[in-house]
Amino acid sequence: MPRARIAVVPALVVGVMLALVPVLAPRNITLINLGFLTFLFVAQGVAWNILGGYAGYVSFGYAAFFGLGAYTTALLWLGGWPPVLTYPVAGVIAAAFSLVVGVPTLRLVGPYFSIATIGVGEAMRILMLNLDRVTGGASGLNLPTSVPSKSWFYLVALLFAAAAIAAAAVIRRSQFGLGLLALRMDLEAAEGLGVPTALFKNLAHIVSAFIVGACGGLYATYLQYVHPDTVFSFTQSISLVLIALIGGIGTVWGPVVGAVVFYAVQDYLQTRYPTFHLLVYGALLIVILLFEPNGLVGLAARLRRPRTPVTPAGARPAGAGAERPA
Amino acid sequence: MFSAQNLISIGIAALLTAGLYAIMSYGLAIIYGVMKVINLSHAGFLMLGAFMTLVYFQWWHLDPVAGAFVNLPVFFVAGWVVYRILVRRVATALPIASLLLLFGLWLVIQNLAVAIWGGEDQSIITSYTYKALTLFGFRIPVTRLIVFAVALAVLSILHFALGHTFIGKALRATVQDPTAGLLVGIDTEQISAMAFGLGTAFAGFAGSLLTLLFSFNPDFGGSFQLKSFTIIVLGGLENLAGVTVGAAVLAFTESYAVLFMRASLQNVIAYALLVVALVVMPGGIGQFLQRRS
Repeated sequence: MPRARIAVVPALVVGVMLALVPVLAPRNITLINLGFLTFLFVAQGVAWNILGGYAGYVSFGYAAFFGLGAYTTALLWLGGWPPVLTYPVAGVIAAAFSLVVGVPTLRLVGPYFSIATIGVGEAMRILMLNLDRVTGGASGLNLPTSVPSKSWFYLVALLFAAAAIAAAAVIRRSQFGLGLLALRMDLEAAEGLGVPTALFKNLAHIVSAFIVGACGGLYATYLQYVHPDTVFSFTQSISLVLIALIGGIGTVWGPVVGAVVFYAVQDYLQTRYPTFHLLVYGALLIVILLFEPNGLVGLAARLRRPRTPVTPAGARPAGAGAERPA
Repeated sequence: MFSAQNLISIGIAALLTAGLYAIMSYGLAIIYGVMKVINLSHAGFLMLGAFMTLVYFQWWHLDPVAGAFVNLPVFFVAGWVVYRILVRRVATALPIASLLLLFGLWLVIQNLAVAIWGGEDQSIITSYTYKALTLFGFRIPVTRLIVFAVALAVLSILHFALGHTFIGKALRATVQDPTAGLLVGIDTEQISAMAFGLGTAFAGFAGSLLTLLFSFNPDFGGSFQLKSFTIIVLGGLENLAGVTVGAAVLAFTESYAVLFMRASLQNVIAYALLVVALVVMPGGIGQFLQRRS
């Protein structure tokens, strides 16, 4: 795939330019905060897309991984660990939990898997509220205030996002990624061709849970406070679905574009109309599904090549645009 | 704690809850049965039904039970319109498309409600809200009794209509086999719109009844949606009589589980039951696993 290879160079250039921001403007806290949260969404959206986009298993339960990561880091940090070492552990715990959720539910066909995952985050939230001896229950956990600088967080989040994109790109081109795409198109045919579908689905779940768990850990150290209602919230789960859908489900760069748009819209709306951002996202979801199931990346491809026959909305697997990563 | 007295009174409470659960899940089952679409906006319509009841109550001092019957036609039309404008366009696409679309609709409804009514808890207090009957030494709240009786009556009427009217028979035929239905001249498009309207009407109806028992806010509905889905999965998804069985299973499990665990963990039970039913129950589930297409 030559087009994808060319994209590596501009991606690296953009990455280096973004990394220079805290060096050139170390006092611009607003910009650095904005960057940090956007990168965190990019990393998670890209991670979600590995299972939700490539394999077509749309999960509404990723808040469970985010929250578990946040709590793991918080507890280890309170136990005296340096924050950097807690992130991989947070990822591992989340990945282990993805097996607990995934092994039974990934056997379900598409929409039933989605329904089964709706309760995961909520169940974890209630559980954490009730395990008050460990988690502090409804009062949450206050973390040490001796945190690294904002610029440090910015750079770590950028690194996370870059790592997630690289992982997604590598997977997309590997045998494993092809297997995931195949099982989305036709589970039985893929199985017939010798794709170990159950193994691949769980592997995709583990990889994305690891990334999201590490992101949860990073977020906990950044906020210095964890509470079940924030880290396990349903909004946290659906953000990832929306990011992938807005950008283009199943593509490498779709969730990246999606996360930037998502966070820009959220930042704009939340300061002005705090209750309206979910309304806008709901409307956006409906409009995308009716008119451009392949998201902004699909729209861009369609505008660039107006002669290509336009498929009717929803007539093919969302993310069929994956054949041409923008 | 485990005295006979206590066990029986929990059983009575569970039975009365089962009536509410059944009527709450019926709408979801009808829509799933006819078009194999999981209506994720069900929670939104439940919540909207509750708020509409509040509106009738505040404007015209209409009793919530009467409000429930006003909601039936109102929500039928709303569901019909939603089907015509939105659902029809993605009904033929991948199942995940309709799922996400209706999920978007849920977000829109929920946040419109926040904009109109604010996020605070609301409740409706009628003259009989705190009254209770005593039967053989067991105290039974009047509201629960009313909800159970109304739910039972409406479900009986629906059952009769499905068995003895042309539309009811056409609807059941479509549930059984859409292609065969089409072949014998049933307008499945009309039936689908009808089913979506009916399903939504039942969501609005159940929302009204819920106001008698619980306080509500725009976020309310999510946990009931999960419960409804658990119920129809337990009942075998396409089996409208199975809904009643599923409702009873969930209500009894939840009620008796409180004897063994913290009451605040009660909502996790529906989720656990859902996963167990989806994963291991061969009967109800076997059907849809073969049917995926």
